[in-house]
Amino acid sequence: MRKRIFLTSVVILLMIAGLLPVLFMLAKSVTADGCLTLAAYKGVLTSRRQWVLMGHSMALASLVTVLTLVAGVPLGILFGKTDFPFRRLFVFLFVIPLLISPYIIAVSWSDLFGGGFLAGVLGPHFTTVATRLLFGLPGCVLVLFSTFLPIPMVLTMVFLKSVNPRLEEAGRLVSGWRGVLKNITIPLILPGILLSAMLVFLLSFGEFGVPNFLRYNVFPVESFTQFSAFYNFKAATAAAAPLAVLTLVVLAAEFYLLRGRGTEIPSFSDSSIPLPINFGKYRKILFFSVALAVFLLVIMPLAVLLIQSAGFDSYAEAFRKGGDSLLRSLLYAVFGATLLTIFGFFTGYLIRTRALRFWRSVDFVTIFLFALPGTVLGIGLVTLWNRPLTNFIYATPLIIILGYLARYTALTSRISAAYLGQIPGSMEEAARIAGAGWFRRMALIVAPLAKNGLFAGWIAGYVFSLRDTAVTMLVYPAGHDTLPVRIFTLMANGSPRLIAALCIIMVAVTIIPAGILWMVSNPVQEKETI
Amino acid sequence: MKKLLYFFVIVSILAAGTFLIRYSKTKTGRKRTEQTVVVYVSEDQVFSEPVLKDFEKETGIQVKAVYDTEEAKSTGTMNRLIAEKNNPQADVYWANEPIRAEVLKQKGISAPYFSPNAKGIPSMFRDKDGFWTGFSARARVFIVNRKNVKSGEMPKSITAYTDSRWKGKAVIANPLFGTTTSEIAALYTVWGEEKAYGFMMGLKVNDVAVSTSNGESADFVAAGRYFFSLVDSDDAVNRIRQGKDVVMVYPDQKAGEIGCFIVPNAAVLIKGAPHPETARKLIDYLLSRETERKLAFADCAQIPLHPGVEQPPELKPINKIRVMQVNYAEVAKKMVEIQPFLKGWAEVL
Repeated sequence: MRKRIFLTSVVILLMIAGLLPVLFMLAKSVTADGCLTLAAYKGVLTSRRQWVLMGHSMALASLVTVLTLVAGVPLGILFGKTDFPFRRLFVFLFVIPLLISPYIIAVSWSDLFGGGFLAGVLGPHFTTVATRLLFGLPGCVLVLFSTFLPIPMVLTMVFLKSVNPRLEEAGRLVSGWRGVLKNITIPLILPGILLSAMLVFLLSFGEFGVPNFLRYNVFPVESFTQFSAFYNFKAATAAAAPLAVLTLVVLAAEFYLLRGRGTEIPSFSDSSIPLPINFGKYRKILFFSVALAVFLLVIMPLAVLLIQSAGFDSYAEAFRKGGDSLLRSLLYAVFGATLLTIFGFFTGYLIRTRALRFWRSVDFVTIFLFALPGTVLGIGLVTLWNRPLTNFIYATPLIIILGYLARYTALTSRISAAYLGQIPGSMEEAARIAGAGWFRRMALIVAPLAKNGLFAGWIAGYVFSLRDTAVTMLVYPAGHDTLPVRIFTLMANGSPRLIAALCIIMVAVTIIPAGILWMVSNPVQEKETI
Repeated sequence: MKKLLYFFVIVSILAAGTFLIRYSKTKTGRKRTEQTVVVYVSEDQVFSEPVLKDFEKETGIQVKAVYDTEEAKSTGTMNRLIAEKNNPQADVYWANEPIRAEVLKQKGISAPYFSPNAKGIPSMFRDKDGFWTGFSARARVFIVNRKNVKSGEMPKSITAYTDSRWKGKAVIANPLFGTTTSEIAALYTVWGEEKAYGFMMGLKVNDVAVSTSNGESADFVAAGRYFFSLVDSDDAVNRIRQGKDVVMVYPDQKAGEIGCFIVPNAAVLIKGAPHPETARKLIDYLLSRETERKLAFADCAQIPLHPGVEQPPELKPINKIRVMQVNYAEVAKKMVEIQPFLKGWAEVL
């Protein structure tokens, strides 16, 4: 009973944070002068152009998802399961683009192709062709691919850690490593791969800044235009409605692909033992291919930022102009990540154990909120919370934290659910029979066993809270801007040196705490064997 | 597991401590509540922040600002003001053009205020009911690439866009956003429906390229990709100061021509502002001659509207420019009216 009451309370809190603002927007979008009307929806959804744009977004999101999976999963296996040289350095480098707004990466690529250096090295014809390709679908795919590649890569690595190597060793007795990967390892980490596919697809589908900058018209443009040119909140909400259908389709696809597949793994073990993959003559080729990919996808655009920000003065100015925002960003991200971890843990538990009848709705809502344009959620939060009675929320940074909770619980919830799925139900059951209450079981059995999931969830929550601009931009109280918001506000006519320095600082403040936690968590799991 | 617990406990304590310290500072500063002003700003932060910092220094009034971004086409603060209508958080809106100020007036979000410092600002740049007052303006000018266009052949009128001589050689920012929308709406009020519509269709016939922003248009022209573009004067001055081989041309300056469209900043008092006294002080400060002088010499190179304010040599004084005679309230109304057409126009491209 306690379990049900507690989980219901968590769900209610989550719905207040995330769903209620959207319902407010929805209610406003279907009413006019006190009467029910679907005019906003008719206007937006009956246009043929919307469906063309939907096609563009589907093409973009599908291409990015397929490419990131094709490259990210093998990279995850390479870095997580083998003794590939410099793998930690490679992981570190590949993750960097995820920590910066893709819009800034797009600007960096544009600067790179538009600048004189590359034209001098490769000739003006190359830069002309490259620029033509950059401004369109190929450019959008390139930027979003390099930004979201770390998602399947890191999730593959994280999920690999929970694969019992004894299963792989047993497989190796009858098969080569290809067979082991194909028949044992990959099927076991399939939930992680599908989770990464879903995240990449939804993030790419909802992306507006990059396609807008690179002039490729996509579906979110309508919602944006209704906000920016017409100030029409109703039409903007209506334009975001198909995303609910899309979320359903994505969830249905995931359900279909995981059907009949048990994700429970009998035990945890030391997964740091590398798979005895012998690359043979391919080792050098593989190494240079990975190094080349890092150079092209990460070093080149990052070099633009590093070169632009070169010099002590740039960084001194960056700290002077963005120091306050940096501190606030860290504070809010830590708060946000901690709350996201807690909420994600309990919603993940609910989804995994199906403890309440409406568990599937909770999963749907969190993922829908993740897919929803940040502007719709942001305006919803303003509309709901901006009242004299709730000024203690709206006029303080709590509104930013609520925004994080609404937008990113899907991440921590799904990560927790995946980890919780690997805890044998018998453990909690044994504790229950021994007389331990639900809270005790959660604190002493489930949470410790899911600690890696909590760590991974916290890192994901921290990274996404820290880089958020879509919601924060619309709700931050005056004088409480965060570093990514400040980078964007300074971008208009601001010095490129200052912007570049702020971006580099942003990367550093994201990597350092996340890296510390990663290091703290690794020895723990390496020592422990159940 | 202990490490995990320690980590979360330490991190949470640190975060909570910092939050409480910061928040309690705000609380203990309650006696200074009246010494605070909240301003939403759509003028670029790099130009507006120094002015607001100077205001803080000179008056001791703490300024809390929310700035806009280029990515959101500088409309984020407008959306917030509209969404916050029933419980306003802002005291002042510093708009980077008067059309938004007019929209706020029409939506009942702003309040009238006649600042004593508005004296001397030409009446066409002020709302007659005091709902907004213009200051420090940009002009809508041509930026022309000097390598591509000889000095004797410069485009002199906005109708150059539809002249077959320039077919495929000109670029304009997306008319659905920003000052380009305002200018098109202004043309509708000055030329009338038929001529303005013909002009818009002429842009298509003449293969005029569409960029995402005025800044991008200016960059395209500076790089020689297009010969000329209509941009804001600050975009042109900025490229000239960067040493690009471009020149700035004020369009339609001959007798009988429509003149150059002027886009002043606008200071707006928000209805139900939490700090009305400090809000008025800030508006007075923004409308002062000194602020206009600072904005003229800043990189945004904005034209002072008070007569006789010192300004850099590359800017023409407002009284030397043939100004397009428009009523900004009518322009705002026309803008709302033509936006569906502009949306369709932009979508077909």
